[in-house]
Amino acid sequence: MKRWPMLAATACLSLGALGLSVFDVQAKPPVAQKKVEKAPVDPKAEAAFREQAKKLTNGTELDKILALENKERGIKADPMPVVDDLTFLRRVYCDLVGRIPTNEEAAAFEADKNPSKRNEIIDRLIADDRFVDRWTVFYADMFRLRAQADGGGAALAWVHQAIADGMSHDEMSRRLITTNGKAGAAPEVAFVLGDNADPMILAGVTSQVFMGVRISCAQCHDHPFDVWTQENFYGFAAYFGKTQRIENQFTRTIYAKENEQSTVLWPPEGKAKPDERKPMKPSFPFDTVAANETPEYIARLNALRAKQKAAKDTLLAKAGAKDSDVDDLLADASENEEKAKGKKQDDAITKQAKQDAKDLNIKAGLYTTSEWRMQLAELVTSPRNRFFAKNLVNRVWSDLVGRGIIDPIDDFSDNNPPSHPKTLDYVADEFVASGYDLRTLVRLIVSSQVYQRAHVYGLAEQDQQELENSFLATPMRRMLSETLYDSIITAGHLFDVKHTPGKNMKTTWKLSQMVKPGTGRQGLALTAMKFEQKMAMKGPAADEDDEAAAGANLEKGIEIDFGKVLAKAKEDGKKVEVEEMRVMSKEEIEAERMRAQMQTQRRGVDYIDRYVKATFDDNPKFGSSLRMSSPAAPEHFLRVFGQTDREILGESRDHAPNMRQALMMLNGQLIHEASRVGEFEPMHAVLAEQKNLDGAIKLAYREVLTREPTTNEIKEAKSIIAAQKDQFDGMADFRWILLNCNEFRFLR
Amino acid sequence: MGCLDYQMNRRAVLQASLASILGFSMRDLIAFGGTDHTPTAEHVIFFWNGGGMSHIDTFDPKPGRPTGGEFDAIDTSVSGIKISQIFPEVAKVMEHCALVRSIAGVNGDHGRGTYQLQTSYNQTANLLHPGFGSVVTSEKKQLGDLPAYVTISGRAPKASYLGQKCEAYFIGGPGEKDPYLSFPEGIASARGNQRLEVLEKFNGRFAEKSSNKELKSTQTSIDEALTLMRSPALAAFELDKVPTSQLNRYGDTPFGRGCLVARQLVETGVRFVQVNRGGFDTHMNNFPAMESHGEIMDPALASLITDLADSGMLKKTLIVMLSEFGRTPKINKDSGRDHWPNVFTCFMAGGGIKGGTVVGTSDEDGFEPKDNPVKVSNLHASFCHALGIDPDKKVMTPLQRPFKLVEDGAPIKELFA
Repeated sequence: MKRWPMLAATACLSLGALGLSVFDVQAKPPVAQKKVEKAPVDPKAEAAFREQAKKLTNGTELDKILALENKERGIKADPMPVVDDLTFLRRVYCDLVGRIPTNEEAAAFEADKNPSKRNEIIDRLIADDRFVDRWTVFYADMFRLRAQADGGGAALAWVHQAIADGMSHDEMSRRLITTNGKAGAAPEVAFVLGDNADPMILAGVTSQVFMGVRISCAQCHDHPFDVWTQENFYGFAAYFGKTQRIENQFTRTIYAKENEQSTVLWPPEGKAKPDERKPMKPSFPFDTVAANETPEYIARLNALRAKQKAAKDTLLAKAGAKDSDVDDLLADASENEEKAKGKKQDDAITKQAKQDAKDLNIKAGLYTTSEWRMQLAELVTSPRNRFFAKNLVNRVWSDLVGRGIIDPIDDFSDNNPPSHPKTLDYVADEFVASGYDLRTLVRLIVSSQVYQRAHVYGLAEQDQQELENSFLATPMRRMLSETLYDSIITAGHLFDVKHTPGKNMKTTWKLSQMVKPGTGRQGLALTAMKFEQKMAMKGPAADEDDEAAAGANLEKGIEIDFGKVLAKAKEDGKKVEVEEMRVMSKEEIEAERMRAQMQTQRRGVDYIDRYVKATFDDNPKFGSSLRMSSPAAPEHFLRVFGQTDREILGESRDHAPNMRQALMMLNGQLIHEASRVGEFEPMHAVLAEQKNLDGAIKLAYREVLTREPTTNEIKEAKSIIAAQKDQFDGMADFRWILLNCNEFRFLR
Repeated sequence: MGCLDYQMNRRAVLQASLASILGFSMRDLIAFGGTDHTPTAEHVIFFWNGGGMSHIDTFDPKPGRPTGGEFDAIDTSVSGIKISQIFPEVAKVMEHCALVRSIAGVNGDHGRGTYQLQTSYNQTANLLHPGFGSVVTSEKKQLGDLPAYVTISGRAPKASYLGQKCEAYFIGGPGEKDPYLSFPEGIASARGNQRLEVLEKFNGRFAEKSSNKELKSTQTSIDEALTLMRSPALAAFELDKVPTSQLNRYGDTPFGRGCLVARQLVETGVRFVQVNRGGFDTHMNNFPAMESHGEIMDPALASLITDLADSGMLKKTLIVMLSEFGRTPKINKDSGRDHWPNVFTCFMAGGGIKGGTVVGTSDEDGFEPKDNPVKVSNLHASFCHALGIDPDKKVMTPLQRPFKLVEDGAPIKELFA
């Protein structure tokens, strides 16, 4: 078999924050394969269309292209206007950083007289740390990353770091597709291990997640509604044919690695005699832009990557390094450093790179990189594969605008064509030319009128549909569950304590498991006991902060320190070879296993359930849901409001209201605490010191709904507050209503 | 895997249509040939014993065999049926119970086994099949205020394409108060109700400005929540009024309390109650563990069956106890047993099934099915039959793929003779 040049063989190993690599963007020599032909785009007609669009006067380039395309589609309806400043601000905060703005942030924005203040706030939010947190959720949903899966926590941390570093989408995707190694230590391997390294499943996942195409139906039969054949599917699956999931029976560590003996066979099992089934040759069934054409966006990408390479060479010369591994690493470092905009010192980067190169040399022999998956990654992420860029563009568009240009987002198919193909092409071209930069893409969309338009109301359903489907109005969206959670915390000042310590002391009874004194019945059912103990904890692992009043666990979560997780992964990575190379006899392994088990099992101990009295200060604070271990437990607030368990491919978040949501909002601790007025929040001073009820009501509206109340609304609020003897109780009632109402959870 | 259904359609279309021309449904052809059994089950209590319960040490004893282990087989109220000594009380009510001793499983992995035993389908990457509780609640309408489907002390599988309405309502510990069913601490009910009145006004006003349908369903969900919060039927979740003597009969354990709550729930109209319990993954020290499980399960299960029989509810209530697989007949060096899907047992009672029945046998050492091997989906089809649900009924996924409620299963006729 022909060996493909191992252009970037080293790039798929985990190198921590330094690991960017530059891939050749030219297409590889094609494997013999049956291609699915799609109608080619006529570059001249496209250029003429864009030129014509430029002559329009209103909006960004994106808006102009959309307007012209709508005109061509015969849409005559007038667009809805762009929303006012505060509505825009609330929308863009929720979408970019996952929470509503505070009163102070809103006031500053209102006071800003700069005509380009919308673009400025967009830039600021895109540079915010919370942007990284918020978009980690987007990627974690897309890649189905689960903190509980093998190496899942490290994978979440890795994606977080990659977004923070501005790693390009193609680089991130290549690493996920190609990486072999130990779960956790090589964080990207979670992608392959998440589906047990099963070639058939990975084929379906790769096509749907990276290209928006559902080919997995073709696993069992030629696709009933589309062009994919079963042979296409098997050819695509063959790229993963040698990949295997290995579980070390002693250490319980999990690996993905290449096994030369394993392969995908054709025809499928049961369709031919076993000896007639032959190894399937990997083939890429998706149509790509021909190698002899260089569209403008590819030329721009090539220019950008050349510039990045030049910067790398400069740094390389400066460092004076010779080792070829170091070359690569320095190249990565340079690109990375450019992205970090001088935040890091060259010296430190060089030093780190050399250290990583040493580690790399040790590791290189250990995990054979998958040649086939390298090929596949290049084909998938090539700018010549239009599916790849369009897929991400369409997903991000759908997230921000409320509806994909192709909808459902993961059904790119002749039967489900884009509503606005030229607009999609334009955004995809810009995305590729930006070097697959997420921030550029998000900025392009949210700075446009497409994003900033108002919702429709008062029109017939058909007219509303037409406006929304033509992107002339935005559909109303409910906040993401994480955004809803963090917005409640923001509105209720719960990121920190807000009451004087010791003011709200309460007593609670907690069910606790204790060792029964004087027991020692040999070999008691320890497994059973451990299970009961688990059952006693509701939701995520019990928070030992003694503030766990009943039910609070379903509204709190375990915060992950992404930095720590990555540092640990790196340490683990260095240990791998020792574990792997140590040859142990079966008896030794068994003895080790027994020893390990003895340590975790305390034999002959009996447990009893006891209610334990605990006094705690009911002065809770909540952490951001964006940094919680995810997916949360099944009954957790985040799950009840739509976070999925990230198990099933293509499962989207269900935002439909249900009874559990209602119970959680009406009776939950989070909203209850957010409503109560604490001494440390501005509301307290307005009520207690300024005795300004009108001002307090206005503040409540601004803090919770990011808008001014009308005169009638102030009057109404006064009567609501007056129903309680205590003004603070009245204000708590009023804020509880605002937090619970639809206007809070749906984005205006 | 997941697309077998489609394949079957293509291949079986001819046969199936031929059959219907002759006036039989496929199921009639496969299963009965003319018994006039009428289904009587209206409710299900589904015991999920997570971890893989040993079949040999419970309902399929192998006394005197090298694989038999430490327990004796004891006589039951039905002559000829013997079960393990860890269930002395259950043995006394065997005339209400049936055992399927020849389940031929295929999944020796906890995840895949659990998935199949709870849904009847094998796991795929692309699609989630609904759990059996969701199947029942999609076919049987909710009675009264309580949710139709409740899971106790653990999770139930998701409803997936059967929709939100068929999701299980979760309660953590049986008898424990669910904090989400009452206003937050310190909010008296008059004050809470006042808040709700104003909230409805606010939401109504906001909805006038939009044609978004979800805004209306938010109010529906609040109304449902309030109906539940204010329902006298909530008492069925509580055990405060249960006399101590009764608690003690069930064994006053979390499992016993689970059985009591399950009984109260079905008596109040709940269609499907899943009671979860773990600790059956006995790779080490299998025998003391199983003895302890017996001490916990035996009084509760026997009391539940007796009480339901006395009140006449047993006929309408199908009791099922299942696990993802059985355990190795061979006892390992840690006195444990490992995963064994090749053959294991399903325990059933009530719901119109014929009591005192044993379906199928395993071989003399409990390794493989001997007579009448039963595939997993036949179990599910049998549960459906007891409930008068058509297991072959087609449901569409959101992507318009048709799926049967149960994967190609036929009811086991011996259970309904």
